[in-house]
Amino acid sequence: MLRWLQRRAENIAALMLAVMFAAFVLQIVFRYFFNFPIGWTSELTVVMWLWIVLWGAAFVLRENEEVRFDLLAGAVGRRGRIAMGIVAAGALLVLYGKSLPASWSYVTFMKVEKSSYLKIRMDWLFSIYLVFLVAILARYLWILWHLVRGREPEEADVSAKAGSGL
Amino acid sequence: MTPFGWAIAAIVVLSLLGLPVGHAMIAGSLLYFWVKGVDMGTAAEQLLNGMYTSYLLLAIPLFILAAEFMNSGSIMDRLLRFCNALVGRWRGGMAQVNVVQSIVFAGMSGSALADAAGSGKIMQTLMTKDGKYTPAFAAALTAVSSVIGPIIPPSIPLVIFALISDTSIGYLFLGGVIPGLLLGIVQMALIAAMAKRRHFPVEAPVPVREWPRITWEAFPALMMPVILFGCLYSGITTPTEAAAAAAAYALAASAILYRSIGWRDVYQSLVTSARVTISIGMLIAGALVFNYVITVENIPKTVAAMLYAYQLSPIGFLVFANVVLLVLGCFLEGTTILLVIVPVMLPTARALGIDPVHFGVVAVVNIMIGLVTPPYGLLLFMMSKIADIPLKDLVREVLPFLWVMIAALAIITFVPDTVLFLPRLLGYKG
Repeated sequence: MLRWLQRRAENIAALMLAVMFAAFVLQIVFRYFFNFPIGWTSELTVVMWLWIVLWGAAFVLRENEEVRFDLLAGAVGRRGRIAMGIVAAGALLVLYGKSLPASWSYVTFMKVEKSSYLKIRMDWLFSIYLVFLVAILARYLWILWHLVRGREPEEADVSAKAGSGL
Repeated sequence: MTPFGWAIAAIVVLSLLGLPVGHAMIAGSLLYFWVKGVDMGTAAEQLLNGMYTSYLLLAIPLFILAAEFMNSGSIMDRLLRFCNALVGRWRGGMAQVNVVQSIVFAGMSGSALADAAGSGKIMQTLMTKDGKYTPAFAAALTAVSSVIGPIIPPSIPLVIFALISDTSIGYLFLGGVIPGLLLGIVQMALIAAMAKRRHFPVEAPVPVREWPRITWEAFPALMMPVILFGCLYSGITTPTEAAAAAAAYALAASAILYRSIGWRDVYQSLVTSARVTISIGMLIAGALVFNYVITVENIPKTVAAMLYAYQLSPIGFLVFANVVLLVLGCFLEGTTILLVIVPVMLPTARALGIDPVHFGVVAVVNIMIGLVTPPYGLLLFMMSKIADIPLKDLVREVLPFLWVMIAALAIITFVPDTVLFLPRLLGYKG
């Protein structure tokens, strides 16, 4: 079930990237070949960029694909890794959790503004941040639960192409 | 401890504990806001507005996508045949092919890790077949030659530098061309020097009458940098659109001219590119929040004043910057260095009159070399996994290449014209 949902999340991320790419091509074609500049495409591409990153961080990227520093984790034993994981997940839960109400009020406050071309309310565009925050909180609660029950965190996947883009 | 001290401590400790770097930066900044009594929604505000207004960054997913489209097996085969026709007949031919392939691929891809992932396996097979080269040497060579990828444009780190320094992406790209070639040349020279002593084999020479066909087959792929530069410098498109045009060309070339990809591959390229975009996007998101903290604390100015007290000359500062970046590169992830450390150095560089394009290319070369410096080198980890050899053996073979690359870095640092010649030729006033 979780795997199936993850697949669909991946479909959506790929679709958003395709939309971004297509909007760019459209923009170039319209301006250069038809001498007719269109503004809404550039807005659409920026929205897609914001959404791909936050949507993907929330639902697509697996924990072992993220860019992290794992020299220390490699140097300590199993118990050490579990303890480290518990402290890190606990700290993230406290800090992200504590910021949730303030983030909610910032995003909802943005309802007073609309995007310049597509006239979409900014609180809708920015709502992905709240989705991201809640999903990350849920993910780390789940990780913490597993760690407390003594399951070791997954080893980082260096051969996965996802990386820092360098 | 000051709120800023808390933030730094939290980021360092959380990263060491294994939290993803992007999350560690956001969490550390949140702690700063909390301790300082600032609205914690500031993190959301900085992240969202920062991502929403940095239009230039959209070039990153597009360059990744372009390289993915080009990264199909049959295009790689043709490019390798082309490289083999060029340098295969020399002693150590296949090793030279590895470097030339990286230079050629550098013109299509902006990421060293993508380059190593794309060509690593095939180069490993080609080089170790019939025991020509040791697996450790082959893997080490793929790692060091991949470093060239993001120095020759297109380049993801140079796009990031353009954003943090507000420098023209077009001139930065031009500035990377000669330094990238220089790195390739020193690597090839080292291979030539090693070839005799280590009895490297020679590849069967390609008959001259086959050259036109081999070049013709590689031609559409070789045209990609031309398309990119054409769009950038003719003014037809903005830099971000040029990235999109390059991706569109790559898609057309591989789907129509080479017929090497179908719908399924296009979808797979989108998924892979989206994944990389997400991971690098999270680093950028974290850095946007943390850089706000750095700016509020006035850190770049403080550092500038501190360095000013030492009366550093521009050359002295560049040497200092090189040492700091190389040492950090041994321990930290490169994009983080670029996003967090380099902006702190920028005001000092500016105050000393160092050209931003020169400084940007020098910084990126440093960071790329950092990908092959132990103990923490992402290219080393990747090749050790792909070639299935111990890190220790890989590092031993990497070291001689590391020294010649640092020598090349010294040339790039002390002779600004290596970077600035091409941009000035095309109208850069710096």
